[in-house]
Amino acid sequence: MTRFIAKRCLYALVSLFILSVTIFVLIRVTGDPVTLLAAPDAKEADLQAIRVQLGLDRTWPVQYLHFIVGALQGDFGTSLYYRVPAGTLYLQRLPASLQLAAAAMAVSLLIGISIGILAAVNVGRWWDSAGKLIALLGLSMPSFWLGLLLINFFAVYLGWLPTSGRGTAAHMAMPAIALSGYFTAAHMRLTRSSMLDVLGSEYVKLARLKGLPESWVLVKHAFKNALIPVVTFAGINLVLMINVAVVVETVFAWPGIGRLLFEGIEFRDFPVVQTVVLLGGVMVIVANLLVDILYAWIDPRIRL
Amino acid sequence: MRLNRRPLLTALTVVLALTLTAPAPRPEAAPAGTVTYAVHITIAPAWFDPADNPGQITPFLIQYALHDAMIKPMPQGMTTPSLAESWSASKDGRVYEFVLRKNVVFHNGDPMTAEDVKFSFERYRGAAAKLLKEKVEAVTIVDPHRVRFHLKQPWPDFMGFYGSPATGAGWIVPKKYVEKVGEDGFKKAPIGAGPFKFVGMTPGVEIVLEAHEKYWRKTPKVKRIVMKSVPEGSTRLAMVKRGEAQIAYKTDGPLGEEVKKDPNLQLVYSGGIATWWLQFGEMNDPKSPWHNPKVRLAASYALDRKALSEAETLGASPPTGSIIPREFEWALPVDPLPYDPKKAKQLLAEAGYPNGFDAGTITPIPPYNSFAEAVGGYLGAVGIKVKLQKMERAVMFDKRRKRELAGICLCANGGFGNAVTRIDADIVSTGVHSILKDAEIDKLFEDQSRETDPKKRQALLKQIQQLVVDRAYFAPIYQLQWPNAVSKTMKVSGMGLIPTFYYTGPFEDIELR
Amino acid sequence: MRASTIPFGWSPAWHRVRARTRGAPLVPLTIIGVVLAAALFADVLAPFDPEIGNLRHRHRPPAWVAGGDSSHLLGTDHLGRDILTRLLYGARISLIVGFTAAIVAGAIGTAVGIVSGYFGRWIDQVIMRVVDAWLALPAVSFAIFLAVLLGPSEKNIVIILAGVFWTRYARVIRGEVLSLKEREYVRLAIVAGCGKWTIMRRHILPNVINTSIVLSTLIVGVVIVAEAALSFLGVGVPPPKPAWGLMLADGKEGMMAGYWWVTLFPGLAIMLVVLAANLLGDWLRVKLDPQLRQL
Repeated sequence: MTRFIAKRCLYALVSLFILSVTIFVLIRVTGDPVTLLAAPDAKEADLQAIRVQLGLDRTWPVQYLHFIVGALQGDFGTSLYYRVPAGTLYLQRLPASLQLAAAAMAVSLLIGISIGILAAVNVGRWWDSAGKLIALLGLSMPSFWLGLLLINFFAVYLGWLPTSGRGTAAHMAMPAIALSGYFTAAHMRLTRSSMLDVLGSEYVKLARLKGLPESWVLVKHAFKNALIPVVTFAGINLVLMINVAVVVETVFAWPGIGRLLFEGIEFRDFPVVQTVVLLGGVMVIVANLLVDILYAWIDPRIRL
Repeated sequence: MRLNRRPLLTALTVVLALTLTAPAPRPEAAPAGTVTYAVHITIAPAWFDPADNPGQITPFLIQYALHDAMIKPMPQGMTTPSLAESWSASKDGRVYEFVLRKNVVFHNGDPMTAEDVKFSFERYRGAAAKLLKEKVEAVTIVDPHRVRFHLKQPWPDFMGFYGSPATGAGWIVPKKYVEKVGEDGFKKAPIGAGPFKFVGMTPGVEIVLEAHEKYWRKTPKVKRIVMKSVPEGSTRLAMVKRGEAQIAYKTDGPLGEEVKKDPNLQLVYSGGIATWWLQFGEMNDPKSPWHNPKVRLAASYALDRKALSEAETLGASPPTGSIIPREFEWALPVDPLPYDPKKAKQLLAEAGYPNGFDAGTITPIPPYNSFAEAVGGYLGAVGIKVKLQKMERAVMFDKRRKRELAGICLCANGGFGNAVTRIDADIVSTGVHSILKDAEIDKLFEDQSRETDPKKRQALLKQIQQLVVDRAYFAPIYQLQWPNAVSKTMKVSGMGLIPTFYYTGPFEDIELR
Repeated sequence: MRASTIPFGWSPAWHRVRARTRGAPLVPLTIIGVVLAAALFADVLAPFDPEIGNLRHRHRPPAWVAGGDSSHLLGTDHLGRDILTRLLYGARISLIVGFTAAIVAGAIGTAVGIVSGYFGRWIDQVIMRVVDAWLALPAVSFAIFLAVLLGPSEKNIVIILAGVFWTRYARVIRGEVLSLKEREYVRLAIVAGCGKWTIMRRHILPNVINTSIVLSTLIVGVVIVAEAALSFLGVGVPPPKPAWGLMLADGKEGMMAGYWWVTLFPGLAIMLVVLAANLLGDWLRVKLDPQLRQL
């Protein structure tokens, strides 16, 4: 078991290394932040002075080493745009992203699973079609469109909810719904098919033959077993959600890391981009690592 | 014993005299209310410190509230004395003396003195810092309210750089405080002499300011100002509609139309310092059609500037015939060419292109893509076929600097300054963004930089600008103004009060109903 | 099929095809047919030029609304371009971008999945590490970087989208291959001495291809919606191309001013195509292999 964990940790480190080098190179290859920081008509000498000041005149391997060494000590460099430590910026904005993702995940699971179960139990009938329709809406509506429609209707027209920003639970309602769209549909479909699988299984057939009430069959067996693949899927989706949240964050002025990364790229704010991608990657890879270890612990066959 | 009434009477008389002749207390009410802004960009802490000013107008979004300057643009004029009560130049043009206002107090209570002015100048490291440091030999303090700048040689442009938002050297910060908290500390909690003081900020999200009641000009009418970063225009409009914000910057296109229709909102225009024009990247190549001035002129006649202004900015942006804003010092006002596609086709035929030609790409400064599309439409209508090339910001700026932009550039310059700074950047062959190679203009520019007689200088500069027009080097379009949304609960929004300025100001005049 | 119902002259092979395609989903096929027709015949059907508009005809409403006229059936956008024309030409872009990206992503992902799953051990580990790193990189930033490096164009958008979505295939196919490896006929083939590549080609690939196809129908929908999101962020299909997602993104401000037609029609178009793709995928899944439910 220990060997397994050690191997997996090593793999995680390799992934992180590949990730950090990739982002490091990508952002440097795509442009020079100094032109954006200085006045449009600044002379070349001025630009060079800024480069030296920011340490951008050194060779890439040197800059990379500097970054990694600093990162290991918790210093991720200073944002070129904000002039505050990149690590601080990330940690300041992370809770907002996590909060939004958690809310959106909750919405998608709540609605997705309920409708999925209803659809499976009523397969072929009205609820099934309604479920399919809702799934379609979620899958085919880009989140920015959904978000703007929600703002127009609930905030401007009805005045029930605040338009944007982060604050109370009311502020979170629309962004969470807009973000959850796709995932609600995905979870609904998975629940439905998983539920249908289970409902057609031997165990359930046997229970029905025995004459047990339908509700007991559903709750005691079908429900729990149907949810296993959904929950696994949801775990992977959580990461995806944080990644695609940038669109919702832009529309609702939600102060998350998606928007931080996007603007960082626009301004070629190297430290911010490197930090967000690296720390985000750490979260993803560590999460994967934990899941792998958990599975291996439950099922020894996987350790091979 | 009888009371001696005489001392009492004297005392009473004295008291009465004092009360009647004492200066009347300020009748201004205490500041009240909160005004929330929906801002279209992310506010950077770097903007809190005028020492880093990049020469663009964006930091002044916040600096006009937090800080004050010796001389700055105000509704009364572009060079209104503010922290400086008056200034004078010596006869030989080498010494500039400023008399400081005496009742100026920073947010932390420290009074402003000449020490702060000298300190602010010496720590300045933003746009044109090198230039300033080269030209200024020394800054001397004559007395706590009198400062002298000694130049190495006469430099008629000194006030253009020091006394304007072109640099941040004239924006005064408190020496004692900065030395105490250091650079980083200052960016985290800035202190200035402006009408509003810094209360708190969440980076990239919002910033909160409170009225500085001891502001020298007047007590601000509003108590609190909150500026929120909201990148999506539709959301900004939604906020003002719902009352979550009272001012929303940059609500152009259909958003502006909606503001016009809404009885609770008013559309207010601001800005004008940014001029937009078409630049012909291949005009120095004899093989290119753009080498012929008739072709360039044709492109200019092909544009319906009014319609472009309508479509992009609801008619706010005044068309112009020069790439230099007419409000600038030494600018030559040039009227825009009329919309005449027939004449454009005729000129093209005369130049040898009766059926037009394929001009390649048109690249706008991001993100003005629909503007470029519209321009492309007009050019296409007279036979000049162009394709829109969308470029990412950083890439475009880089290519522009390196003069690697092929085809047509929908270019702009929004920097502060005067006609000289614009000519320096876009017209003389050594200009940072210039693609012109006109020896005559270069010589005239050199002559004017040495000329001390303002009348002669003006003549030379006007001559340069006239040459640019005569030779049809560019196709100027308009001076960009934005439509902004202001709630009708605002009595004075500060929008559009300062000429060519895109943001609200003066902040002390902003008032709720 | 009973002998009496066989029309004279039809071969048994044809019957097998008919049996397989019975119950073919008419709705999605019709939608796809219409979209395909629009894409192919846009030049003939469209009344105007999709990229050049008349500024003085901005924001005209659809013909049946007050203020609209019959020359612009579905109205015009902010630059005076006819919406119907743009929808028709946009069909080309959405189909090409959507399908090509899904196919390319599918090809790469399936290939990688097969190799990784079949060879196992260190090859598998290395490939999975790269996939992990790839997945950890936020798709949006990856898209922006590629857009900057390659410049925005339809071809590059396909590359970007394929680059983002191939990992979905890789993971799923790898899982399938891992379980397929243990099947009887694969083991027999190994024992019989068949080469690795032969086995992969003849035994593994045909069995995973169904999964790929079904997954593709889902991915097509996701890709089309992703194109809209990229356009919103400014890194999608470059203007003035009439991609539906770009039309949607461009029209978002018009929504606030009441110009509902600029966004509704491209939005509906996207919805219908996604619906069709998904229904088709559902049907295929049931037809080809009921085991594919986890997709």
